Amino acid sequence: MDTIIQQLFNAAQLGAVYALIALGYSMVYGIIRLINFAHGDIFMLGGFIGLLLTTRFGWMPFYLLLPLAMLLTALVGVAIERVAYRRLRNAQRMSVVITTLGVGIFLENLVRLTVGPETRQIPARLPSAPVVWLQQHLGAFVTWDKLLIILISLALMAILWLVVNRTLIGTAMRAVADNKDAVPLMGVNLNLVIAVTFAIGSALAAAGGIFYGQAYSIDPYMGIDLGWKAFIAAVIGGIGSIEGAVLGSFLLAGVEVITVAYLSSNLKNGIAFGLLILLLLVWPWGIMGKPTLKKV
Amino acid sequence: MVCTLILALALPLQLSVDAGLFPDVLNPYYLHLLTIIGMNIILVASLNLLNGYLGEFALGHAGFMAVGAYTAALLATKALPSAAALPPVLGTCIILVVTLGGAMLMAAGIGYLIGLVTFKTVGDYLAIITLGFNMIIVNAIQNLDFVGGPRGFTGIPKNTNFLAVAVCALLTLGLLRNLIQSSFGRVWVSIRENAIAAELMGVSIAKAKNWAFTIAAAFAGLAGGLWAQNQQFITPRSFDYIKTTEILVMLYLGGMASLSGSILGVVAYTLLMELLRNLLSAFAPQLAEWRMLISPLILIVIMLTRQTGLLGNREWRWLRPRQGA
Repeated sequence: MDTIIQQLFNAAQLGAVYALIALGYSMVYGIIRLINFAHGDIFMLGGFIGLLLTTRFGWMPFYLLLPLAMLLTALVGVAIERVAYRRLRNAQRMSVVITTLGVGIFLENLVRLTVGPETRQIPARLPSAPVVWLQQHLGAFVTWDKLLIILISLALMAILWLVVNRTLIGTAMRAVADNKDAVPLMGVNLNLVIAVTFAIGSALAAAGGIFYGQAYSIDPYMGIDLGWKAFIAAVIGGIGSIEGAVLGSFLLAGVEVITVAYLSSNLKNGIAFGLLILLLLVWPWGIMGKPTLKKV
Repeated sequence: MVCTLILALALPLQLSVDAGLFPDVLNPYYLHLLTIIGMNIILVASLNLLNGYLGEFALGHAGFMAVGAYTAALLATKALPSAAALPPVLGTCIILVVTLGGAMLMAAGIGYLIGLVTFKTVGDYLAIITLGFNMIIVNAIQNLDFVGGPRGFTGIPKNTNFLAVAVCALLTLGLLRNLIQSSFGRVWVSIRENAIAAELMGVSIAKAKNWAFTIAAAFAGLAGGLWAQNQQFITPRSFDYIKTTEILVMLYLGGMASLSGSILGVVAYTLLMELLRNLLSAFAPQLAEWRMLISPLILIVIMLTRQTGLLGNREWRWLRPRQGA
């Protein structure tokens, strides 16, 4: 029983990181129908910005460090959109996708050449003592940092939900997702809405990167693997849907943790992708996605 | 005409390098580069069938290459006698035909199965599913112990040389050219231009797509088989997403839906990478690694300034059908 609860917390922690990345994929796709293949590398960059801040500014508390890293990464995300994607907004979709691939490879190599290819860990900034209450009542050994990572992530997702559903800019974002061509006619600044979307997605990914660096470790190529996993999670949930991205992330993390715990860690990727293909064959638009109809 | 010319040049080139003539001009390094270019042409041209002519976005080409490479490696080491036991030239030819044929058949089989599973999906979902299959193939090979698992497959005999690669690349280009000009290829282009209209004209989209997948996979398998017997050592990791991306980059650099573009893209990319490496290591050795930053930048700049690739969808004359034929 206690090991099952521990595994549940492991799955929730991994799922929270996946969800923070998956939300960025899903939002950008929902708004401009673009699979941003560089998003996994934005997540990696966020982790390294967090590492830089913790090692250079050791006095900085975590509640200052996290927003600062998120802000810096958001700036990078917006800059990439401005330089590389905006000019291609009305171009063939393939060209944009290839450009995102190029940006991703560029970021990976940039970090590898400037910081180095080694695997690093962000110095622990969250308390790592076990949660006494859980130990006494459920017999599960869960540390505070794990619990905090899950809680902060859930709080960020709640804030995102509020922004999208309850604010003016969120309304504008949903309007762009609905009809990109009509929105500018209503006097909405399309470029601003898209820039804000990229900023929010990048900031969430940065939070995911810092959490991942606290819980596990970071290296310049982690964006490929985790980015793809988060992307799968977004697709399973129904790409373009916020709730779907979160649901798919926790589902994927659960399956992975179970595979590692009870089968073999070598089968992890194979089973994750197998699940993706099976689910897509049953629900071609993901669990919560809306079917798109092709018009003649 | 051009084919004959290339073949007429390839044979003496191979022989003279083997014999060690003119070591300054014709050294094995240049021949190695040409061999890599030949294999990449097969890969890029076959991916062009799916991404250029059929208009889909398939992201799993390295997976088919892996199937071909491992099949050829297994056939060459376990099933066939070594080339030394057979008569010199003929023996190598037989081994090559058997291993490459096996590689193509196996890859085509897998491609057919994947085509069966994916026939319903289009666009982004097809991209994801093909990428998923690429990852599954790599993951499966990593878990197969009799091919070396994650450590890789060692001790493959070197049965391939530049001549064999050149012949295979030209055969591939010729076959693909004729296929694309046939009614078969026109069906693919019609699906790309308007799938619904094509269906109304009586085209079976699922069937046509499945054929394209099978044929493209077979040629990727051929390239894999050549690759395995040229490098003599393969690991599952060398066929993952990064390899697929490299193939895509060369394809888009040259231009979609153009075989000439595929050739030009491969030659330009490979030569540029080698040139950058040599230049940087000659003038600024400490910056030699920075060429890894330049190649994605080139890709981005090309996409921003010339979205159709270097050639667009134009063809050189020898890759076009004869007029009035």
